[in-house]
Amino acid sequence: MSVSSFIAKLAGATALVGLSALAVQAQTSGEPVKIGAIVSVTGAGAGLGVPERNGLLLAEKDINAKGGIKGRPIKFIVEDDASNPDTALSKANDLIFGQKVQALLGPSLTASTVAVGGVTHANKIPQIAFTGIGPAVERERKCVAHVLPPQRLNAMALLEYAKSIKAAKVGVLHDAGYGNVVMAELKPLADKYGVKLVAVEKFEIGATDTTTQAAKVKAAQPDAVFIIATSATPFRNVKQIQIAQPVIAAIGSSSYEYVNAMGPAADNIVIPEFVVGEDPLPHQKDFVELYKKTYNATPKNYEAAAWDAAHIIAAALNKAGADATGEKLCDAMKAPYSGVLANYNFSADDMTGIPISSFVFSKLVGGKYTRTPFRVAQ
Amino acid sequence: MTLSLVLQALFAGVTNGIVYALVGMGLSAIFKGSRVINAMQGEFAVIGAMTTVLLLTKTGWPYAAAIAGGAVAGALVGAFIEVAFVRYMAKKNASEDSFLLLTIGLALTLSASVLFFIGRDGHLLPPLGGEGVLIILDAVIQFHALWLIAIGIGATLALRAFYHRTTIGLSMMAASIDADGAATTGINVARMRTFTFVLGGLLGALGGILVTPLIGVDYQLGLNLTLKGFAAAVLGGLTNPLGAAVGGLTLGLVESLAIIGISSSYKDVVAFSVLIIIMILMPQGILGRAGRRGG
Amino acid sequence: MNPRTLLWLATGLVVWAVLPFIVPRYMADLLVFTGIYTVAGLGIGLLLGHCGIVNLAQATFYGLGAYASAYCTVMMGLPSVVGFLVGAVISMALAYVIGRPILRLTGYFLALGTLALSAIASALFFEWDWLTGGTLGIGGIPKLDLFGFLLDRPSRYYFFVWIVAFACMAVARNLVDSRTGLMLRAMRDSSTAAAALSVDLQALRTRVFVVCALFGSLAGSLFAHHASFVSTQSFTVDRSISFLLIPVIGGATSIPGIVVGALFVTFLPELLSKLGDIHQILFGLALVAVVVLMPEGLVGAFGKLRTRLAKRGSGHG
Repeated sequence: MSVSSFIAKLAGATALVGLSALAVQAQTSGEPVKIGAIVSVTGAGAGLGVPERNGLLLAEKDINAKGGIKGRPIKFIVEDDASNPDTALSKANDLIFGQKVQALLGPSLTASTVAVGGVTHANKIPQIAFTGIGPAVERERKCVAHVLPPQRLNAMALLEYAKSIKAAKVGVLHDAGYGNVVMAELKPLADKYGVKLVAVEKFEIGATDTTTQAAKVKAAQPDAVFIIATSATPFRNVKQIQIAQPVIAAIGSSSYEYVNAMGPAADNIVIPEFVVGEDPLPHQKDFVELYKKTYNATPKNYEAAAWDAAHIIAAALNKAGADATGEKLCDAMKAPYSGVLANYNFSADDMTGIPISSFVFSKLVGGKYTRTPFRVAQ
Repeated sequence: MTLSLVLQALFAGVTNGIVYALVGMGLSAIFKGSRVINAMQGEFAVIGAMTTVLLLTKTGWPYAAAIAGGAVAGALVGAFIEVAFVRYMAKKNASEDSFLLLTIGLALTLSASVLFFIGRDGHLLPPLGGEGVLIILDAVIQFHALWLIAIGIGATLALRAFYHRTTIGLSMMAASIDADGAATTGINVARMRTFTFVLGGLLGALGGILVTPLIGVDYQLGLNLTLKGFAAAVLGGLTNPLGAAVGGLTLGLVESLAIIGISSSYKDVVAFSVLIIIMILMPQGILGRAGRRGG
Repeated sequence: MNPRTLLWLATGLVVWAVLPFIVPRYMADLLVFTGIYTVAGLGIGLLLGHCGIVNLAQATFYGLGAYASAYCTVMMGLPSVVGFLVGAVISMALAYVIGRPILRLTGYFLALGTLALSAIASALFFEWDWLTGGTLGIGGIPKLDLFGFLLDRPSRYYFFVWIVAFACMAVARNLVDSRTGLMLRAMRDSSTAAAALSVDLQALRTRVFVVCALFGSLAGSLFAHHASFVSTQSFTVDRSISFLLIPVIGGATSIPGIVVGALFVTFLPELLSKLGDIHQILFGLALVAVVVLMPEGLVGAFGKLRTRLAKRGSGHG
């Protein structure tokens, strides 16, 4: 294209951007409502934190485009805890006492959530964490909500699927961190679903090879294999030693980063999760479309969880008042909410309230996520 | 405990062992030539593998050329580190701990850089010999793993020959044992040290490229490989590349046998305990020479 | 002590006492962490600077102290001081039992031995989750209560932590200046000479290793009461490596240097994080810069600067 027409296009685009910025600004005005957010952008948790931040910032734009909080813009101040609970604690102190935020979203990791929860609970700052509920102490923190399912629910979802394909004998390959936690819930539940755990093998976080553990699982001749990990390695090893049984993976493995690294092993794997961007449920379609348009990528669970958390706090602020904090905001936050990821009820015992019927069971076929029709009836 | 399971454990143990050995050999080579413990040896592997991945997928080079590119990248980074940092510090007579801290800092920088510039995705490379596998008694080993083992053994023998038969290799050893003496015989000590880092970078990169088709490469791989490589190198006596190979194999096999013999939950506990016991019983390393302080 | 030094000390003391009240709360929080890391780093500094030993096992004792405090207060409802004591006793006992065989090793073998110890401990912290809570950890650790005065915010806990740190520094200085210290340095510089002087090397090294473990355990207990929550992620091999950085950055043979190193490791990542996602890269580069440009650590560089300024001041420099 010629220089003059290029300049014309550029001018036009700039005008459009300027106009739309003005348009957004016309919707909201005044002192921004400040909400803090802590996510793991660097370190081992980056696979969670980066999508969460994307979801948050998209939600911020969306909320402000629709009028913000009673006309005032909402502003999320996002900090990185570098996957370190000590850093999360410092950031929480800064956000609450320095920046004077009215509520806190995140963190991405359970250890950070429990550390930060000590401060938010003591100072009555409502918090919505991007984790499933963790140790017992969290049940006492009535203003720390969770938008991801407790590990008990994840375990149940795995067992429900195993039951549905009539897998009576199951072998488990799990990691020492997240895997241990899910296993602790899985073991006592297995009997109720008529499932016998014929092999349970563990590998360390960051393991570069899990072949031998996978071989032990294979030797037990299970009907299906559970893999509970946050890395692609066990999936590769399982396929490499030619385990032909169906693989059911926990939600932690459900991300495009891992699919890439799984290579040809990304096939015939079922994952109980919530958002299948390639084939969203009707109530998820708008979010998926908007995300795709803005970021040119397909969203999954963590983006949706952050999006929901942002909208929940915005809805609570709209109900309780733009300046609401403490108990008042906390109570407003606890109303049942139908989000993109799932249906929540923060008054529930597990501070999450997600029913097992919210799970969507996706299946990796040739490296692509597809949505199976299987759902668990409530 | 079937024979099939034992055989599978042996396959995995040897494959992993050679991976550790490759990293350990690079570490050993650098220590031998400069007395620097390179805490970023694993990052050389990541650099080599990532470069190959990028050359292959983004610029569409043929696989062999991409591999060469990755190896060269490792060598260049090694050279850069020596010229930019190590040489300066050596002139100032920095302590061994300072060099260790240097490499730790570089490792942190590189790992964070990979995350920042390339992202959190894991990447694979095409395996040598395709996706084919060899099956014996129901135990599976990929063709690529067999290639890896063969190349690893070959590299070990080549390295040993290099140090003992070639002029450069002998000069590198001389320069590190006694810099002044070497200088009087006309050996350019600084240049020998650069070559050492080039060699270490090359070995590390090669190891990373060979390992990636099996386990994938991502920004977190470096530290894990470095720790295992360090263990392999020290077990082998730290200045003996053949020792690093034996050390690596020992570690890999102890790990797999611990998994099937005791339990997968205690694999690290058993493997590292055996490591400690070996070191106490064999204070010069498995193949180390007598008397030297830590190799 | 001359009046000038006295003046510096007095000023320093006043600044120290006032600091937590004048800086923003999250910085007071970081200053508490600095104190905790100073205690942990002191032990490493003793081993590194005066014995030439690279100890990569400090996260083990840090973890033992933290879990002891957590378990005793949360699971068993005992007073906090019991947690401190239990952690210290277990750590010192373990250090003695493991130390005797491991400390026979030298150089990098020893470093690998301590690394192996750290890896074993970390694996057990994960595996024995009935004791440690595993990844979920143990939460709800109470804040320290000093005779009715609750240390529930950074500006109060700061004083307790730093008084412990100063006490540890005094112990360390005592060790360094004593005959033991002299023997240690003799051993570090020439083990054959030291042996000729019939110094019991093994006993000496074990003693310092045990002191290091004690400091690590104290730091861990202090940490438990600060964060009110402990989990396995805080006690991995990475943590051991961070502790090693502290004396090397500050200057391994200098005790005030440990404080400088601890400040560096605590504050720099925080300051850099304001620069966006690139902050981890910048921290690595900062480490490299410090080590390349200041091979004797920050304290050593400061000392050299002072000497240079003094020379210039006293006539023709």
